[in-house]
Amino acid sequence: MKTRAPLVAAARALAVAVVLLWSLGPIAMIVFAAFTPERDIFASGRSLLAWRPTFEHFIGLWTRWGDFFTALRNSLVITVGATLFAVAVSTLAGYGYSRWRSVFLARSAFALIALRLLPPIVTTLPLFPIVNALGLNDTHAVLIILYAAFFVSLGTMVMRTFIDQIPRELDEAAHVDGAGPWQVLRRVILPLSAQGMVAVAIFVIVYAWNEFLFAFIFTTRKAKTMSLVMSEMIGSLDGVEWGVLFAATTVQLLPVLVFVVLCQRQLIEGLTAGATKG
Amino acid sequence: MSNALSLARTDAPGLLSPASRAALPFVAPALLLMGLVILVPALYVLWLSFHSSTFGVSPTFVGWDNYAKILQDPYFWRSLVNTAVIVLVVVHAELLLGLAMATLFAGGLPGRKVLIACVLAPYAVSEVGAIVMWRTLFDPDTGPVMRALAALGLPPLEWAVTPSHGLVMVALLSVWLHLPFTFVILYAARLAIPIDVYEAALIDGASPWQTFRRVTLPLLAPAILVAMLFRYIFAFRLFSEVWLLTGGGPARSTEVVAVYLYLEAFRYNNFGAATATGWLMVLSSLVLAGFYLRRLYRGMFAGLER
Repeated sequence: MKTRAPLVAAARALAVAVVLLWSLGPIAMIVFAAFTPERDIFASGRSLLAWRPTFEHFIGLWTRWGDFFTALRNSLVITVGATLFAVAVSTLAGYGYSRWRSVFLARSAFALIALRLLPPIVTTLPLFPIVNALGLNDTHAVLIILYAAFFVSLGTMVMRTFIDQIPRELDEAAHVDGAGPWQVLRRVILPLSAQGMVAVAIFVIVYAWNEFLFAFIFTTRKAKTMSLVMSEMIGSLDGVEWGVLFAATTVQLLPVLVFVVLCQRQLIEGLTAGATKG
Repeated sequence: MSNALSLARTDAPGLLSPASRAALPFVAPALLLMGLVILVPALYVLWLSFHSSTFGVSPTFVGWDNYAKILQDPYFWRSLVNTAVIVLVVVHAELLLGLAMATLFAGGLPGRKVLIACVLAPYAVSEVGAIVMWRTLFDPDTGPVMRALAALGLPPLEWAVTPSHGLVMVALLSVWLHLPFTFVILYAARLAIPIDVYEAALIDGASPWQTFRRVTLPLLAPAILVAMLFRYIFAFRLFSEVWLLTGGGPARSTEVVAVYLYLEAFRYNNFGAATATGWLMVLSSLVLAGFYLRRLYRGMFAGLER
Protein backbone atom coordinates (compact mmCIF):
# COMPACT_ATOMS: atom_id res chain seq x y z
CA MET A 1 0.00 0.00 0.00
CA LYS A 2 1.16 3.51 -0.80
CA THR A 3 1.07 6.14 1.92
CA ARG A 4 -2.39 7.65 1.97
CA ALA A 5 -3.04 11.32 1.99
CA PRO A 6 -4.24 12.46 5.43
CA LEU A 7 -7.34 13.76 3.70
CA VAL A 8 -8.35 10.25 2.62
CA ALA A 9 -7.72 8.91 6.12
CA ALA A 10 -9.90 11.65 7.58
CA ALA A 11 -12.68 10.91 5.10
CA ARG A 12 -12.55 7.23 6.00
CA ALA A 13 -12.67 7.99 9.71
CA LEU A 14 -15.65 10.24 9.15
CA ALA A 15 -17.39 7.55 7.09
CA VAL A 16 -16.83 4.99 9.85
CA ALA A 17 -18.21 7.44 12.42
CA VAL A 18 -21.34 7.95 10.32
CA VAL A 19 -21.80 4.19 9.91
CA LEU A 20 -21.48 3.67 13.66
CA LEU A 21 -23.86 6.48 14.49
CA TRP A 22 -26.41 5.09 12.02
CA SER A 23 -26.14 1.50 13.27
CA LEU A 24 -25.84 2.06 17.00
CA GLY A 25 -27.38 5.49 17.55
CA PRO A 26 -31.05 4.40 17.71
CA ILE A 27 -30.20 1.38 19.89
CA ALA A 28 -27.95 3.29 22.29
CA MET A 29 -30.52 6.05 22.64
CA ILE A 30 -33.27 3.62 23.74
CA VAL A 31 -31.10 1.58 26.09
CA PHE A 32 -29.77 4.79 27.63
CA ALA A 33 -33.27 6.24 27.99
CA ALA A 34 -34.47 3.04 29.67
CA PHE A 35 -32.14 3.86 32.57
CA THR A 36 -32.95 7.58 32.65
CA PRO A 37 -35.55 9.12 35.02
CA GLU A 38 -38.79 9.90 33.21
CA ARG A 39 -38.51 13.70 33.54
CA ASP A 40 -35.00 13.69 32.00
CA ILE A 41 -35.71 11.42 29.03
CA PHE A 42 -37.08 14.10 26.80
CA ALA A 43 -35.07 16.99 28.23
CA SER A 44 -32.43 18.23 25.83
CA GLY A 45 -28.67 17.72 26.13
CA ARG A 46 -27.61 19.47 29.27
CA SER A 47 -28.93 16.98 31.82
CA LEU A 48 -26.55 14.39 30.34
CA LEU A 49 -23.82 15.50 32.72
CA ALA A 50 -25.98 14.86 35.76
CA TRP A 51 -27.11 11.43 34.53
CA ARG A 52 -27.69 8.87 37.27
CA PRO A 53 -28.95 5.45 36.21
CA THR A 54 -32.37 4.47 37.50
CA PHE A 55 -34.31 1.23 37.43
CA GLU A 56 -37.69 2.89 37.86
CA HIS A 57 -38.87 1.95 34.36
CA PHE A 58 -38.00 -1.70 34.85
CA ILE A 59 -39.86 -1.62 38.17
CA GLY A 60 -42.78 0.07 36.44
CA LEU A 61 -42.71 -2.61 33.75
CA TRP A 62 -42.82 -5.27 36.46
CA THR A 63 -45.67 -3.70 38.45
CA ARG A 64 -47.87 -2.26 35.70
CA TRP A 65 -47.23 -4.59 32.77
CA GLY A 66 -47.03 -8.01 34.43
CA ASP A 67 -48.26 -9.23 31.05
CA PHE A 68 -44.85 -8.46 29.62
CA PHE A 69 -43.11 -11.01 31.80
CA THR A 70 -45.65 -13.70 30.95
CA ALA A 71 -44.91 -12.80 27.35
CA LEU A 72 -41.18 -13.01 28.01
CA ARG A 73 -41.67 -16.58 29.21
CA ASN A 74 -43.83 -17.35 26.15
CA SER A 75 -41.20 -15.92 23.83
CA LEU A 76 -38.57 -18.04 25.55
CA VAL A 77 -40.59 -21.27 25.26
CA ILE A 78 -41.52 -20.57 21.64
CA THR A 79 -37.99 -19.59 20.66
CA VAL A 80 -36.43 -22.67 22.26
CA GLY A 81 -39.12 -24.93 20.77
CA ALA A 82 -38.90 -23.50 17.27
CA THR A 83 -35.10 -23.56 17.34
CA LEU A 84 -34.84 -27.21 18.43
CA PHE A 85 -37.50 -28.22 15.92
CA ALA A 86 -35.98 -26.32 13.01
CA VAL A 87 -32.41 -27.38 13.76
CA ALA A 88 -33.42 -31.05 14.05
CA VAL A 89 -35.43 -31.08 10.82
CA SER A 90 -32.80 -29.03 8.95
CA THR A 91 -29.95 -31.26 10.07
CA LEU A 92 -31.75 -34.39 8.90
CA ALA A 93 -32.60 -32.84 5.55
CA GLY A 94 -29.17 -31.27 5.14
CA TYR A 95 -27.64 -34.73 5.62
CA GLY A 96 -30.05 -36.26 3.10
CA TYR A 97 -29.35 -33.61 0.46
CA SER A 98 -25.61 -33.68 1.07
CA ARG A 99 -25.08 -37.42 0.81
CA TRP A 100 -27.48 -38.57 -1.92
CA ARG A 101 -28.15 -37.29 -5.43
CA SER A 102 -31.17 -37.88 -7.65
CA VAL A 103 -33.60 -35.96 -9.77
CA PHE A 104 -36.28 -36.33 -7.09
CA LEU A 105 -33.93 -34.90 -4.47
CA ALA A 106 -32.85 -32.02 -6.70
CA ARG A 107 -36.48 -31.20 -7.49
CA SER A 108 -37.58 -31.34 -3.88
CA ALA A 109 -34.64 -29.19 -2.76
CA PHE A 110 -35.65 -26.70 -5.42
CA ALA A 111 -39.22 -26.78 -4.12
CA LEU A 112 -37.98 -26.11 -0.60
CA ILE A 113 -36.13 -23.02 -1.78
CA ALA A 114 -39.01 -21.76 -3.89
CA LEU A 115 -41.55 -22.23 -1.08
CA ARG A 116 -39.46 -20.23 1.31
CA LEU A 117 -39.91 -17.23 -0.95
CA LEU A 118 -43.70 -17.19 -0.57
CA PRO A 119 -45.05 -14.40 1.64
CA PRO A 120 -46.00 -15.68 5.13
CA ILE A 121 -49.12 -13.51 5.36
CA VAL A 122 -50.72 -15.46 2.51
CA THR A 123 -50.58 -18.71 4.44
CA THR A 124 -52.38 -17.12 7.39
CA LEU A 125 -55.63 -16.90 5.40
CA PRO A 126 -56.35 -20.64 5.23
CA LEU A 127 -54.36 -21.47 8.37
CA PHE A 128 -56.41 -19.18 10.58
CA PRO A 129 -59.65 -21.22 10.39
CA ILE A 130 -57.72 -24.52 10.47
CA VAL A 131 -55.76 -23.50 13.55
CA ASN A 132 -59.01 -22.49 15.20
CA ALA A 133 -60.70 -25.76 14.28
CA LEU A 134 -57.79 -27.73 15.74
CA GLY A 135 -57.96 -25.70 18.94
CA LEU A 136 -54.37 -24.56 18.41
CA ASN A 137 -55.21 -20.89 18.48
CA ASP A 138 -53.30 -18.99 21.15
CA THR A 139 -50.91 -21.85 21.91
CA HIS A 140 -47.13 -22.07 21.85
CA ALA A 141 -47.36 -25.00 19.45
CA VAL A 142 -48.82 -23.04 16.54
CA LEU A 143 -46.03 -20.45 16.60
CA ILE A 144 -43.34 -23.09 17.08
CA ILE A 145 -44.57 -24.95 13.98
CA LEU A 146 -44.93 -21.79 11.87
CA TYR A 147 -41.55 -20.37 12.81
CA ALA A 148 -39.81 -23.69 12.21
CA ALA A 149 -41.58 -24.16 8.86
CA PHE A 150 -40.40 -20.79 7.56
CA PHE A 151 -36.77 -21.46 8.50
CA VAL A 152 -36.40 -25.11 7.59
CA SER A 153 -35.59 -24.22 3.99
CA LEU A 154 -32.75 -21.84 4.83
CA GLY A 155 -31.67 -24.20 7.61
CA THR A 156 -31.52 -27.18 5.26
CA MET A 157 -29.40 -25.33 2.73
CA VAL A 158 -27.02 -24.06 5.42
CA MET A 159 -26.69 -27.54 6.91
CA ARG A 160 -26.11 -29.08 3.50
CA THR A 161 -23.29 -26.60 2.87
CA PHE A 162 -21.69 -27.46 6.21
CA ILE A 163 -22.15 -31.24 5.84
CA ASP A 164 -20.74 -31.11 2.31
CA GLN A 165 -17.47 -30.06 3.90
CA ILE A 166 -17.25 -33.23 5.99
CA PRO A 167 -15.18 -35.70 3.93
CA ARG A 168 -17.12 -38.65 2.62
CA GLU A 169 -14.18 -40.90 3.49
CA LEU A 170 -15.33 -40.64 7.11
CA ASP A 171 -18.79 -41.89 6.14
CA GLU A 172 -17.26 -44.74 4.21
CA ALA A 173 -14.95 -45.72 7.06
CA ALA A 174 -17.94 -45.94 9.40
CA HIS A 175 -19.84 -47.79 6.71
CA VAL A 176 -17.08 -50.40 6.46
CA ASP A 177 -17.40 -50.84 10.21
CA GLY A 178 -21.01 -51.81 9.62
CA ALA A 179 -22.72 -48.49 10.37
CA GLY A 180 -25.99 -47.71 8.57
CA PRO A 181 -26.99 -44.19 7.44
CA TRP A 182 -28.48 -43.33 10.84
CA GLN A 183 -25.37 -44.40 12.69
CA VAL A 184 -23.20 -42.45 10.25
CA LEU A 185 -25.34 -39.42 11.00
CA ARG A 186 -25.03 -39.90 14.74
CA ARG A 187 -21.38 -40.88 14.97
CA VAL A 188 -19.76 -38.96 12.10
CA ILE A 189 -21.95 -36.10 10.95
CA LEU A 190 -23.49 -34.75 14.15
CA PRO A 191 -20.24 -34.30 16.08
CA LEU A 192 -18.72 -32.42 13.13
CA SER A 193 -21.61 -30.17 12.18
CA ALA A 194 -22.05 -28.18 15.39
CA GLN A 195 -20.93 -24.98 13.61
CA GLY A 196 -23.69 -25.36 11.06
CA MET A 197 -26.29 -26.00 13.74
CA VAL A 198 -25.22 -22.84 15.54
CA ALA A 199 -25.60 -20.90 12.28
CA VAL A 200 -29.12 -22.27 11.76
CA ALA A 201 -30.02 -21.69 15.41
CA ILE A 202 -29.03 -18.01 15.20
CA PHE A 203 -31.50 -17.34 12.41
CA VAL A 204 -34.37 -19.11 14.11
CA ILE A 205 -33.63 -17.57 17.49
CA VAL A 206 -33.51 -14.01 16.16
CA TYR A 207 -36.63 -14.58 14.06
CA ALA A 208 -38.75 -16.39 16.67
CA TRP A 209 -37.77 -14.02 19.46
CA ASN A 210 -38.66 -10.91 17.46
CA GLU A 211 -41.45 -12.00 15.09
CA PHE A 212 -44.64 -9.94 15.01
CA LEU A 213 -47.03 -10.93 12.21
CA PHE A 214 -47.80 -14.55 13.14
CA ALA A 215 -47.93 -13.72 16.85
CA PHE A 216 -50.33 -10.89 16.06
CA ILE A 217 -52.67 -13.13 14.09
CA PHE A 218 -52.48 -16.39 16.03
CA THR A 219 -52.18 -15.36 19.68
CA THR A 220 -54.62 -13.34 21.73
CA ARG A 221 -53.98 -13.83 25.43
CA LYS A 222 -52.20 -16.88 26.84
CA ALA A 223 -49.43 -17.32 24.28
CA LYS A 224 -48.72 -13.65 23.53
CA THR A 225 -45.08 -12.88 22.80
CA MET A 226 -43.03 -9.85 23.82
CA SER A 227 -43.38 -8.16 20.44
CA LEU A 228 -47.15 -8.32 20.77
CA VAL A 229 -47.24 -6.85 24.28
CA MET A 230 -44.87 -4.10 23.15
CA SER A 231 -47.18 -3.28 20.26
CA GLU A 232 -50.02 -3.01 22.78
CA MET A 233 -47.89 -0.64 24.81
CA ILE A 234 -47.28 1.52 21.73
CA GLY A 235 -50.99 1.60 20.96
CA SER A 236 -52.01 2.19 24.58
CA LEU A 237 -55.09 4.40 24.63
CA ASP A 238 -54.28 6.22 27.87
CA GLY A 239 -50.99 7.55 26.52
CA VAL A 240 -47.74 5.71 25.95
CA GLU A 241 -45.52 5.28 29.00
CA TRP A 242 -42.30 5.86 27.11
CA GLY A 243 -39.88 4.99 29.90
CA VAL A 244 -41.55 1.64 30.50
CA LEU A 245 -41.69 0.95 26.77
CA PHE A 246 -37.95 1.68 26.51
CA ALA A 247 -37.34 -0.75 29.38
CA ALA A 248 -39.37 -3.43 27.58
CA THR A 249 -37.48 -2.79 24.32
CA THR A 250 -34.19 -3.13 26.21
CA VAL A 251 -35.24 -6.42 27.83
CA GLN A 252 -36.25 -7.80 24.44
CA LEU A 253 -33.17 -6.54 22.62
CA LEU A 254 -30.17 -7.18 24.86
CA PRO A 255 -30.13 -11.02 24.93
CA VAL A 256 -30.30 -11.38 21.13
CA LEU A 257 -27.91 -8.50 20.60
CA VAL A 258 -25.27 -10.16 22.78
CA PHE A 259 -25.93 -13.43 21.00
CA VAL A 260 -25.61 -11.93 17.50
CA VAL A 261 -22.34 -10.20 18.46
CA LEU A 262 -20.90 -13.40 19.96
CA CYS A 263 -21.90 -15.57 17.00
CA GLN A 264 -20.95 -13.02 14.36
CA ARG A 265 -18.83 -15.45 12.35
CA GLN A 266 -21.53 -18.15 12.09
CA LEU A 267 -24.12 -15.51 11.26
CA ILE A 268 -22.07 -14.21 8.34
CA GLU A 269 -21.26 -17.72 7.09
CA GLY A 270 -24.89 -18.78 7.38
CA LEU A 271 -26.23 -15.70 5.62
CA THR A 272 -23.87 -16.07 2.67
CA ALA A 273 -24.38 -19.84 2.41
CA GLY A 274 -28.15 -19.40 2.59
CA ALA A 275 -28.30 -16.70 -0.05
CA THR A 276 -25.79 -17.94 -2.59
CA LYS A 277 -26.41 -21.67 -2.37
CA GLY A 278 -30.13 -21.64 -1.82
CA MET B 1 -21.28 -38.82 -9.33
CA SER B 2 -20.47 -41.57 -11.77
CA ASN B 3 -23.80 -43.34 -11.48
CA ALA B 4 -25.90 -40.17 -11.47
CA LEU B 5 -27.28 -40.82 -14.94
CA SER B 6 -28.40 -44.35 -14.23
CA LEU B 7 -29.98 -43.17 -10.98
CA ALA B 8 -31.81 -40.45 -12.86
CA ARG B 9 -33.26 -42.90 -15.35
CA THR B 10 -34.79 -45.12 -12.71
CA ASP B 11 -36.49 -42.09 -11.19
CA ALA B 12 -39.70 -42.87 -13.04
CA PRO B 13 -43.01 -41.45 -11.79
CA GLY B 14 -44.24 -43.34 -8.75
CA LEU B 15 -40.95 -45.13 -8.38
CA LEU B 16 -38.09 -43.59 -6.47
CA SER B 17 -34.50 -44.38 -7.29
CA PRO B 18 -32.42 -46.17 -4.63
CA ALA B 19 -30.68 -42.90 -3.79
CA SER B 20 -34.00 -41.11 -3.36
CA ARG B 21 -35.34 -43.92 -1.24
CA ALA B 22 -32.26 -43.92 0.98
CA ALA B 23 -32.49 -40.17 1.50
CA LEU B 24 -36.25 -40.04 1.95
CA PRO B 25 -36.40 -40.65 5.72
CA PHE B 26 -34.02 -37.74 6.21
CA VAL B 27 -35.62 -35.20 3.90
CA ALA B 28 -39.24 -36.20 4.53
CA PRO B 29 -39.75 -34.19 7.75
CA ALA B 30 -38.61 -30.97 6.06
CA LEU B 31 -40.73 -31.61 2.98
CA LEU B 32 -43.78 -32.50 5.06
CA LEU B 33 -43.45 -29.48 7.31
CA MET B 34 -43.11 -27.03 4.45
CA GLY B 35 -45.69 -28.81 2.38
CA LEU B 36 -48.33 -28.70 5.09
CA VAL B 37 -47.59 -25.23 6.40
CA ILE B 38 -46.75 -23.38 3.18
CA LEU B 39 -47.53 -25.29 -0.03
CA VAL B 40 -50.99 -26.64 0.79
CA PRO B 41 -52.23 -23.34 2.26
CA ALA B 42 -50.87 -21.43 -0.74
CA LEU B 43 -52.68 -23.74 -3.17
CA TYR B 44 -55.81 -23.54 -1.04
CA VAL B 45 -55.65 -19.74 -1.28
CA LEU B 46 -55.50 -20.10 -5.06
CA TRP B 47 -58.65 -22.24 -4.97
CA LEU B 48 -60.36 -19.88 -2.54
CA SER B 49 -59.55 -16.88 -4.70
CA PHE B 50 -61.98 -18.22 -7.31
CA HIS B 51 -64.69 -18.73 -4.71
CA SER B 52 -66.88 -16.57 -2.61
CA SER B 53 -66.59 -17.52 1.04
CA THR B 54 -66.47 -16.26 4.55
CA PHE B 55 -65.37 -18.11 7.66
CA GLY B 56 -67.81 -20.95 8.26
CA VAL B 57 -69.87 -20.63 5.06
CA SER B 58 -69.36 -23.18 2.28
CA PRO B 59 -67.73 -21.54 -0.74
CA THR B 60 -69.35 -21.05 -4.15
CA PHE B 61 -67.46 -20.68 -7.42
CA VAL B 62 -67.33 -17.10 -8.67
CA GLY B 63 -64.62 -17.21 -11.36
CA TRP B 64 -62.54 -14.07 -11.66
CA ASP B 65 -64.93 -11.96 -9.52
CA ASN B 66 -62.54 -11.57 -6.60
CA TYR B 67 -59.77 -10.43 -8.91
CA ALA B 68 -62.08 -8.03 -10.72
CA LYS B 69 -63.17 -6.63 -7.39
CA ILE B 70 -59.70 -5.79 -6.12
CA LEU B 71 -58.55 -4.49 -9.49
CA GLN B 72 -61.42 -1.99 -9.32
CA ASP B 73 -60.65 -1.05 -5.75
CA PRO B 74 -58.69 2.24 -5.55
CA TYR B 75 -57.36 1.20 -2.12
CA PHE B 76 -55.78 -1.86 -3.67
CA TRP B 77 -54.04 0.26 -6.30
CA ARG B 78 -52.93 2.73 -3.68
CA SER B 79 -51.41 -0.08 -1.61
CA LEU B 80 -49.72 -1.53 -4.68
CA VAL B 81 -48.18 1.81 -5.66
CA ASN B 82 -47.05 2.44 -2.07
CA THR B 83 -45.45 -1.00 -1.93
CA ALA B 84 -43.70 -0.59 -5.28
CA VAL B 85 -42.27 2.80 -4.32
CA ILE B 86 -41.09 1.61 -0.92
CA VAL B 87 -39.53 -1.57 -2.32
CA LEU B 88 -37.68 0.29 -5.07
CA VAL B 89 -36.40 3.01 -2.75
CA VAL B 90 -35.50 0.70 0.12
CA VAL B 91 -33.73 -2.01 -1.88
CA HIS B 92 -31.67 0.36 -3.98
CA ALA B 93 -30.73 2.53 -1.02
CA GLU B 94 -29.60 -0.61 0.78
CA LEU B 95 -27.53 -1.72 -2.20
CA LEU B 96 -25.78 1.65 -2.48
CA LEU B 97 -25.10 1.89 1.25
CA GLY B 98 -24.12 -1.78 1.50
CA LEU B 99 -21.73 -1.44 -1.43
CA ALA B 100 -20.15 1.69 0.03
CA MET B 101 -19.76 0.02 3.42
CA ALA B 102 -18.36 -3.20 1.96
CA THR B 103 -15.77 -1.19 0.06
CA LEU B 104 -14.93 0.87 3.13
CA PHE B 105 -14.54 -2.19 5.35
CA ALA B 106 -12.63 -4.27 2.82
CA GLY B 107 -10.04 -1.47 2.57
CA GLY B 108 -8.76 -2.56 5.97
CA LEU B 109 -9.81 -0.79 9.15
CA PRO B 110 -8.48 -1.11 12.67
CA GLY B 111 -10.78 -3.11 14.93
CA ARG B 112 -12.73 -4.48 11.98
CA LYS B 113 -14.34 -7.29 13.98
CA VAL B 114 -15.80 -4.87 16.51
CA LEU B 115 -16.96 -2.54 13.75
CA ILE B 116 -18.74 -5.35 11.93
CA ALA B 117 -20.44 -6.39 15.17
CA CYS B 118 -21.73 -2.82 15.45
CA VAL B 119 -22.98 -2.82 11.86
CA LEU B 120 -24.79 -6.13 12.46
CA ALA B 121 -26.53 -4.81 15.59
CA PRO B 122 -29.79 -3.75 13.89
CA TYR B 123 -30.21 -7.36 12.74
CA ALA B 124 -30.95 -8.24 16.38
CA VAL B 125 -33.66 -5.58 16.73
CA SER B 126 -37.32 -6.59 16.36
CA GLU B 127 -39.65 -4.67 14.09
CA VAL B 128 -41.54 -3.46 17.13
CA GLY B 129 -38.28 -2.39 18.80
CA ALA B 130 -37.24 -0.50 15.68
CA ILE B 131 -40.58 1.29 15.66
CA VAL B 132 -40.00 2.39 19.25
CA MET B 133 -36.55 3.69 18.33
CA TRP B 134 -37.50 5.56 15.18
CA ARG B 135 -40.67 7.00 16.62
CA THR B 136 -38.62 8.40 19.46
CA LEU B 137 -35.98 9.80 17.11
CA PHE B 138 -38.67 11.46 15.02
CA ASP B 139 -41.04 12.47 17.78
CA PRO B 140 -42.67 15.77 16.66
CA ASP B 141 -41.95 17.54 19.97
CA THR B 142 -38.96 15.86 21.51
CA GLY B 143 -37.24 13.72 18.85
CA PRO B 144 -33.51 14.43 18.48
CA VAL B 145 -33.69 14.23 14.69
CA MET B 146 -36.63 16.64 14.60
CA ARG B 147 -34.68 19.06 16.77
CA ALA B 148 -31.68 18.73 14.48
CA LEU B 149 -33.88 19.38 11.43
CA ALA B 150 -35.34 22.46 13.11
CA ALA B 151 -31.88 23.70 14.09
CA LEU B 152 -30.78 23.40 10.47
CA GLY B 153 -33.87 25.30 9.38
CA LEU B 154 -35.28 22.25 7.59
CA PRO B 155 -38.98 21.34 7.60
CA PRO B 156 -40.00 18.56 10.03
CA LEU B 157 -41.00 15.06 8.92
CA GLU B 158 -44.70 14.90 9.75
CA TRP B 159 -44.95 11.14 9.52
CA ALA B 160 -48.12 10.88 11.61
CA VAL B 161 -50.05 13.42 9.53
CA THR B 162 -48.75 13.51 5.97
CA PRO B 163 -49.02 10.18 4.14
CA SER B 164 -45.88 10.62 2.03
CA HIS B 165 -43.88 11.46 5.15
CA GLY B 166 -45.23 8.33 6.82
CA LEU B 167 -43.91 6.28 3.91
CA VAL B 168 -40.53 7.99 4.16
CA MET B 169 -40.38 6.90 7.80
CA VAL B 170 -41.27 3.33 6.84
CA ALA B 171 -38.56 3.34 4.19
CA LEU B 172 -35.92 4.72 6.56
CA LEU B 173 -36.81 2.14 9.17
CA SER B 174 -36.74 -0.73 6.68
CA VAL B 175 -33.33 0.29 5.36
CA TRP B 176 -32.03 0.45 8.91
CA LEU B 177 -33.39 -2.97 9.83
CA HIS B 178 -32.24 -4.80 6.71
CA LEU B 179 -28.97 -3.13 5.79
CA PRO B 180 -27.00 -5.74 7.81
CA PHE B 181 -28.23 -8.49 5.47
CA THR B 182 -27.30 -6.62 2.27
CA PHE B 183 -23.99 -5.57 3.77
CA VAL B 184 -23.01 -9.11 4.81
CA ILE B 185 -23.75 -10.56 1.37
CA LEU B 186 -21.79 -7.85 -0.44
CA TYR B 187 -18.96 -7.78 2.08
CA ALA B 188 -18.43 -11.56 1.94
CA ALA B 189 -18.37 -11.39 -1.86
CA ARG B 190 -15.95 -8.46 -1.77
CA LEU B 191 -13.57 -10.34 0.52
CA ALA B 192 -13.69 -13.29 -1.86
CA ILE B 193 -12.13 -11.21 -4.65
CA PRO B 194 -8.45 -12.27 -4.78
CA ILE B 195 -5.96 -9.58 -3.79
CA ASP B 196 -3.81 -10.09 -6.92
CA VAL B 197 -6.61 -8.65 -9.03
CA TYR B 198 -6.19 -5.38 -7.16
CA GLU B 199 -2.40 -5.58 -7.34
CA ALA B 200 -2.66 -5.95 -11.09
CA ALA B 201 -4.95 -2.93 -11.28
CA LEU B 202 -2.47 -0.95 -9.17
CA ILE B 203 0.42 -1.89 -11.45
CA ASP B 204 -1.60 -0.81 -14.45
CA GLY B 205 -1.95 2.55 -12.76
CA ALA B 206 -5.70 2.47 -12.25
CA SER B 207 -7.18 5.16 -10.02
CA PRO B 208 -9.25 4.02 -7.00
CA TRP B 209 -12.44 4.95 -8.84
CA GLN B 210 -11.38 3.07 -11.99
CA THR B 211 -10.53 0.05 -9.85
CA PHE B 212 -13.95 0.18 -8.28
CA ARG B 213 -15.75 0.63 -11.62
CA ARG B 214 -13.76 -1.87 -13.65
CA VAL B 215 -12.73 -4.47 -11.08
CA THR B 216 -14.87 -4.46 -7.95
CA LEU B 217 -18.26 -3.77 -9.49
CA PRO B 218 -18.18 -6.42 -12.25
CA LEU B 219 -16.83 -9.06 -9.86
CA LEU B 220 -19.51 -8.24 -7.33
CA ALA B 221 -22.33 -8.36 -9.88
CA PRO B 222 -23.56 -11.88 -8.97
CA ALA B 223 -23.66 -11.04 -5.26
CA ILE B 224 -25.40 -7.74 -5.97
CA LEU B 225 -28.01 -9.59 -8.00
CA VAL B 226 -28.62 -12.16 -5.25
CA ALA B 227 -28.87 -9.52 -2.54
CA MET B 228 -31.18 -7.44 -4.70
CA LEU B 229 -33.57 -10.29 -5.56
CA PHE B 230 -33.75 -11.48 -1.97
CA ARG B 231 -34.46 -8.01 -0.72
CA TYR B 232 -37.07 -7.37 -3.45
CA ILE B 233 -38.91 -10.52 -2.39
CA PHE B 234 -38.66 -9.85 1.33
CA ALA B 235 -39.37 -6.12 1.12
CA PHE B 236 -42.51 -6.88 -0.87
CA ARG B 237 -44.10 -8.60 2.16
CA LEU B 238 -43.61 -5.51 4.32
CA PHE B 239 -46.29 -5.50 7.00
CA SER B 240 -45.27 -4.84 10.59
CA GLU B 241 -43.43 -1.57 10.03
CA VAL B 242 -46.41 0.01 8.33
CA TRP B 243 -48.98 -1.58 10.59
CA LEU B 244 -47.27 -0.42 13.76
CA LEU B 245 -46.28 3.03 12.52
CA THR B 246 -49.34 4.29 10.67
CA GLY B 247 -51.79 1.38 10.70
CA GLY B 248 -52.27 2.20 7.02
CA GLY B 249 -53.78 5.57 7.82
CA PRO B 250 -54.63 8.36 7.69
CA ALA B 251 -57.67 7.36 5.62
CA ARG B 252 -56.05 4.16 4.22
CA SER B 253 -53.45 6.28 2.41
CA THR B 254 -50.29 4.50 3.61
CA GLU B 255 -51.43 0.91 3.21
CA VAL B 256 -49.09 -1.57 1.57
CA VAL B 257 -50.29 -4.78 -0.10
CA ALA B 258 -49.85 -6.98 3.00
CA VAL B 259 -51.72 -4.47 5.16
CA TYR B 260 -54.49 -4.26 2.57
CA LEU B 261 -54.75 -8.06 2.61
CA TYR B 262 -54.87 -8.17 6.40
CA LEU B 263 -57.56 -5.49 6.66
CA GLU B 264 -59.74 -7.04 3.94
CA ALA B 265 -59.52 -10.47 5.58
CA PHE B 266 -59.66 -9.71 9.27
CA ARG B 267 -61.41 -6.35 9.53
CA TYR B 268 -63.70 -5.80 6.53
CA ASN B 269 -64.68 -9.45 6.34
CA ASN B 270 -63.86 -9.45 2.66
CA PHE B 271 -62.26 -12.85 2.40
CA GLY B 272 -62.51 -13.13 -1.38
CA ALA B 273 -60.59 -9.92 -1.95
CA ALA B 274 -57.97 -11.03 0.56
CA THR B 275 -57.40 -14.39 -1.13
CA ALA B 276 -57.13 -12.76 -4.56
CA THR B 277 -54.63 -10.26 -3.13
CA GLY B 278 -52.79 -13.14 -1.47
CA TRP B 279 -52.43 -15.05 -4.69
CA LEU B 280 -51.25 -11.94 -6.53
CA MET B 281 -48.59 -11.60 -3.82
CA VAL B 282 -47.55 -15.21 -4.36
CA LEU B 283 -47.34 -14.69 -8.12
CA SER B 284 -45.29 -11.53 -7.88
CA SER B 285 -42.94 -13.17 -5.39
CA LEU B 286 -42.48 -16.08 -7.78
CA VAL B 287 -41.87 -13.78 -10.75
CA LEU B 288 -39.23 -11.91 -8.76
CA ALA B 289 -37.80 -15.19 -7.55
CA GLY B 290 -37.85 -16.58 -11.09
CA PHE B 291 -34.51 -15.08 -12.09
CA TYR B 292 -32.82 -16.38 -8.99
CA LEU B 293 -34.51 -19.78 -9.09
CA ARG B 294 -33.69 -20.35 -12.75
CA ARG B 295 -29.99 -19.95 -12.14
CA LEU B 296 -30.21 -22.19 -9.11
CA TYR B 297 -32.20 -24.81 -11.05
CA ARG B 298 -29.48 -25.11 -13.67
CA GLY B 299 -26.84 -25.52 -11.00
CA MET B 300 -28.81 -28.19 -9.19
CA PHE B 301 -29.62 -30.32 -12.16
CA ALA B 302 -26.17 -30.11 -13.71
CA GLY B 303 -25.10 -33.70 -14.37
CA LEU B 304 -28.45 -35.15 -13.37
CA GLU B 305 -30.47 -34.73 -16.54
CA ARG B 306 -29.37 -35.42 -20.05
